[in-house]
Amino acid sequence: MAYNYEQMSWSEVRDLFRKWREDNERRSDDIVLLWKRILEDNASKLGNERHLVLEQVIIAAFDCARLDISEKCIRELSQEFPGSLRVQKYKAMKYEAMGRYDEANDVLDDIISKDETNAAPRKRKIAIFKAKGKTCEAIKELCEYLKKFMSDQEAWHELCSLYLSENEYSKAAFCMEEVLLHNPHSHLIHQRLAEIRYTMGGLENIEIAKSYYSQALKLNSCNLRALYGLYLCCNHIINSKASVNKRKEAQKLASYVLSEIQSKSCVGNEKAKNDKYIGSLENAFGNLDLKSN
Amino acid sequence: MALLAFNKLLLVIGFVCLIHAAYSAAQHRTYLRITEQESSFLPFDILLQAITSLFLIIYSLLQVVGDFKEIRAAVDLQGKSWETLSNIPSFYTFNHRGKALSPLYVNPSSGKSSLDSED
Repeated sequence: MAYNYEQMSWSEVRDLFRKWREDNERRSDDIVLLWKRILEDNASKLGNERHLVLEQVIIAAFDCARLDISEKCIRELSQEFPGSLRVQKYKAMKYEAMGRYDEANDVLDDIISKDETNAAPRKRKIAIFKAKGKTCEAIKELCEYLKKFMSDQEAWHELCSLYLSENEYSKAAFCMEEVLLHNPHSHLIHQRLAEIRYTMGGLENIEIAKSYYSQALKLNSCNLRALYGLYLCCNHIINSKASVNKRKEAQKLASYVLSEIQSKSCVGNEKAKNDKYIGSLENAFGNLDLKSN
Repeated sequence: MALLAFNKLLLVIGFVCLIHAAYSAAQHRTYLRITEQESSFLPFDILLQAITSLFLIIYSLLQVVGDFKEIRAAVDLQGKSWETLSNIPSFYTFNHRGKALSPLYVNPSSGKSSLDSED
């Protein structure tokens, strides 16, 4: 761990929390630890950000099963916003964390009946199915949800991973394409879609995977995983019954990709560095020899 | 930090300079009206002062406000990993081994054995 928790000031912790919040990093254990040690006593200094931090801590506390901390934070929020549906949702999540799913469902249904346009409790209901291990029902519910909230890319992403866990690759690919429409500049989505296509197999899918991997590399030339994926695709095409032209092209691409991988991975650098160290070591030992003589 | 303070000072100087130029221009106009001369052009020094102060403001403002964002759309996403991108907060589930991290956690098997020993 790169952070020295003992010596952090509250403003540093605040910035760290903000970074984690924006990047969607889970890091629940660290959040709970830092909250307990540093931020809890300085919560009043956070200003408007305090509510966001409290929500972050509540979720982290659920993750670490620290229901005492989450209880405290929820109480603080509900004192400030009595009757807020957003705070109600955290109460439902508390039941979820305790494993009392039926009660959680009751609370969520109550929220939905009060505000039909509220997407968050519907998502939690799907998460409950997921937590119970009922993937098929979660998929069904999520499809229903997506009919109402079509532009929710998080939901599309989740549906994709649910389909993947059920080995429904073509449906997963469709979901990933939806996500891709929302962020066409994300190399990771391209890479993911290519991986799904590659897993599906068959020459046609491999060709598609090849073009998605290429696009991912175009967006981020340092994506080593996409480089390896592209190499695998090319190898597959070389060994397949594709036309001679295509095979030749793939051969060229494969050798190019391999050289890229070699230059990107630090094997060469390491060797040069080692040579330098060995050289300097030899120098040092040479001096020793002279002295002992 | 010192550079930022310097740039802020430049910005203030620029604004003062521009306001001064405007004031001088207004005064020049009133002078023309009083002496009833016909001339629509401002004197060269006022024009020069206005333009230099404008450029001074533009430069120092760019320095004070902050760094430019990268124009290529993909650069922001380059540093991201699949780990954070595939993490979807609204679908978190909590029935995982994280429970064992809690100090209040009771191991189900050990709890059973303690009951057994009581018997």
